[in-house]
Amino acid sequence: MTAGAANLLELVDVRGGYGPTSVLHGVSLQVPEGSIVSLLGANGAGKTTTLRAITGVIHWTGDIRFAGHSLRRMATEDIVSSGITHVPEGRGILTELTVDENLRLGAHKRKDRDAVRKDYDRVFEYFPVLRERRRLSASTLSGGEQQMLAVARALLMKPRLMLLDEPSLGLAPMVVRSIFEIIRSINQSDHVAVLLVEQNARLALELSSDAYVLEVGRVAVSGKSAELQGQESVRRSYLGY
Amino acid sequence: MQELTQQVVSGLANGGIFASLALALVLIYNAMGLVNFAQGEMAMFATFIAFTLINHGFSYWFALPLTVAIAFAGGVLIQRVVIRPVERAPVLTLVIVTLGLATLINGAAGFLFGYVPRVFPSPFSVSTVNLLGAYLSYQDMGVIVVSGVVLVLIYLLLQRTTIGLMMRAAAHHREASRLLGVRVSWMLALGWGLASAVGAVSGIMVAPVLVLEPNLMQTIIIYAFAAAVLGGIESPLGAVVGGLIVGVTVNLAGAYIPFVGGDLQLAVALAIIVGVLIVKPNGLFGRPSVRNV
Amino acid sequence: MQLIQQRLRTAPPRYWLVLVVALFFVGLPTVVSSFQSSEWTQVLIFAIVIMGLNILVGYSGQISLGHGALMAVGAYTSAILIHRYHVDYLVTIPIAGLLTGLVGFLLGIPALRLSALYLALATFALAVVTPSLIKRPVELTGGVQGILIAAPDPPQFAKDAFAAITGGPAMTSDQWMYYVSLFLALLLFWFAWNIVRHRPGRAMRAIRDREVAAATFGINIAAYKTMAFGISAFYAGVAGALYGVTSGFVSPDSFPLALSFQLLVGTVIGGLASIAGPLVGGIFTFWLPIISSQFVSSQPWIPAQIASAFQKAGPAVTYGALLIVIMIFAPNGIVGLVVAGYARLQARLRGAGDRGTGQMPPDPQTV
Repeated sequence: MTAGAANLLELVDVRGGYGPTSVLHGVSLQVPEGSIVSLLGANGAGKTTTLRAITGVIHWTGDIRFAGHSLRRMATEDIVSSGITHVPEGRGILTELTVDENLRLGAHKRKDRDAVRKDYDRVFEYFPVLRERRRLSASTLSGGEQQMLAVARALLMKPRLMLLDEPSLGLAPMVVRSIFEIIRSINQSDHVAVLLVEQNARLALELSSDAYVLEVGRVAVSGKSAELQGQESVRRSYLGY
Repeated sequence: MQELTQQVVSGLANGGIFASLALALVLIYNAMGLVNFAQGEMAMFATFIAFTLINHGFSYWFALPLTVAIAFAGGVLIQRVVIRPVERAPVLTLVIVTLGLATLINGAAGFLFGYVPRVFPSPFSVSTVNLLGAYLSYQDMGVIVVSGVVLVLIYLLLQRTTIGLMMRAAAHHREASRLLGVRVSWMLALGWGLASAVGAVSGIMVAPVLVLEPNLMQTIIIYAFAAAVLGGIESPLGAVVGGLIVGVTVNLAGAYIPFVGGDLQLAVALAIIVGVLIVKPNGLFGRPSVRNV
Repeated sequence: MQLIQQRLRTAPPRYWLVLVVALFFVGLPTVVSSFQSSEWTQVLIFAIVIMGLNILVGYSGQISLGHGALMAVGAYTSAILIHRYHVDYLVTIPIAGLLTGLVGFLLGIPALRLSALYLALATFALAVVTPSLIKRPVELTGGVQGILIAAPDPPQFAKDAFAAITGGPAMTSDQWMYYVSLFLALLLFWFAWNIVRHRPGRAMRAIRDREVAAATFGINIAAYKTMAFGISAFYAGVAGALYGVTSGFVSPDSFPLALSFQLLVGTVIGGLASIAGPLVGGIFTFWLPIISSQFVSSQPWIPAQIASAFQKAGPAVTYGALLIVIMIFAPNGIVGLVVAGYARLQARLRGAGDRGTGQMPPDPQTV
């Protein structure tokens, strides 16, 4: 779709699924450096599965390249270490640990201590509730707070690309808005690219520059978010509004 | 009153041993969702290694940490070679694998070290000291101190270091930890190594009291199970508390209840296990888990 | 007549296999020595326990590491009835079975509250403690020394029949007990097969695979699970009684933890939730320790000291190692391996297209 500006992430004809069940039937998409791209579609279209393929949680065929390197056969831990952060559906909070421990795990691989401290300050600025509940078990956080923790933790990992799976799920609209605002500012200040999977298409299109709509494991529609927002037929058939 | 104190202190010493082995069980349970039925045999084997080292001239206080290190390596090796291939198998398969491992190690110990019971040296003299009117043996107190030190070290490792954090994360949340860059597979192996090391301490502490032979740990492991179950199979703190309670209870039962002789103390442990499982299945410190449909 | 002919024609090859095996067993004592017959009696006894254990573990999905203890209950029941109350040995067998079955049923009730792992732990502890518990009431059980049981004399009709067939020496007690055990094994096999084939079997499998879903189907989980415990205990009790009578002797040390363990292993190795599994399991349980210890001492190139140390330790090492290897490579047991291999062969012969792997998965274990 967009050639030119270096593509941080590129998927070419990716197929895969869970065991014998195939979910993705040839997904191709690109995420340019520093951009926000949304991945939309109905339940079961394969959005989450796409993210799982990128981080190596499922087997896939085709090609997935990150910063020019193929991710084939890489272990999840290594893919993550190379600069991709995945905030999964359900947020992946380690509920047996405290808020602080969750954050520490985000930063544990980094060597730049000063920068880490600064990032901690930033994170607490964005999400003051995390500072308050630092020593408490992560399981005591509400859904919205857990999402904040997940984003905060992702930020501490200092990724080049953030994969966000349904960040708005189960959250009150106000909370969703503030989280999305923070994602936007992270993207602008740190040039972190974002691949955003969302069911709330409207919000996603407002935030992102480009969008792909998945249907039954294939890209049905793609283009600039602004254009897709404008096309009523697309909105009606694919995005539900 | 003095006799009661003596029995209690003696029970605490035994409890320290049970607690160490129970901690090993809990560590692996947290990492794997199963109880390692081979834990006792691994501890026994490590104890034999210590014995061999001491016999070859190493001092006790050098052989102890060296054995613990060897046990650690052994635990890691076992996880890599035997456990990893069956990681995702159902509980029954895993139970059988650990039972097979137990048999294998027991047989190997018999093969390498023989079945003749040996006397294991203790650095603590068996003499007693008069403390507040009760006669407490140096042996018991030594065991309490060593077990205590080991348990504290483990606590510090798990709670205060980054590696401990990673181990805990990997144990409870495998997939999510991977997404944070934690090398889950190696953390699990470390967990096994750590458990094996703690178990080794337990074996070395108990060997001077009983005789060293391949079936050394077969009764101890039952007490350790009772301790782990009582404390809550997921809770390291529970393992320690459980161990102490079991140690003291069994000792007192043996001393004061005429019916309960030497070998029936084991039945007391069984009663504890069954009782806890019926009344409060999650133990003292455990948390009820949600069943995923 | 025509119906029978039709049935014979359409019977799947499996039925013929069963017939052949049954004939083999019936004819065995006529061609081997009396001592060898007694060895195969032990195989049959193990097979009986494993049939019951199979129902518990393979079909209802509950683990037991305590069936050796249940065998002890059966064995001692029978021994005590014979020794103290002079009950005829044949009569004691069903009594032992029923009593043990009741014990098992009662054990099954608290077992309902335990997860798979805790159940394994609890039954493990039970197996460890049982020898000590048996030793206590010395009056009743004979304590450490146990109870001696006189070898039963074969009834006249059996002696005559046997002599007629073999034309040789009179039927020994061992040979008679072989046939008693065989008869019981076949009877209990038929009984187990019927349970599994019909509603109880299906219900148990539903419980094993997805307990919560099974409950929504209205299956009474508690009833089936405790029933499974009771039935498997019944089998263990019968086997225990046979064990006592055929060995002539019961003592607390006849039923150590290792026995419970070997039984569970035999069940899994034979193949869970399979019909042939118990027989394979019985063979495995009895012969492996013997073969692995004899194997080493028969190798002339191994020096005597190693051989004798290995004699004691060898079986354990071989056993343990073999177990691990089998669990890694054939978790559905030997029968599972055969079934899967057979299915693959069939698929290939039939020319099944390459739809994925084209392989029929064996019955899943989801304990």
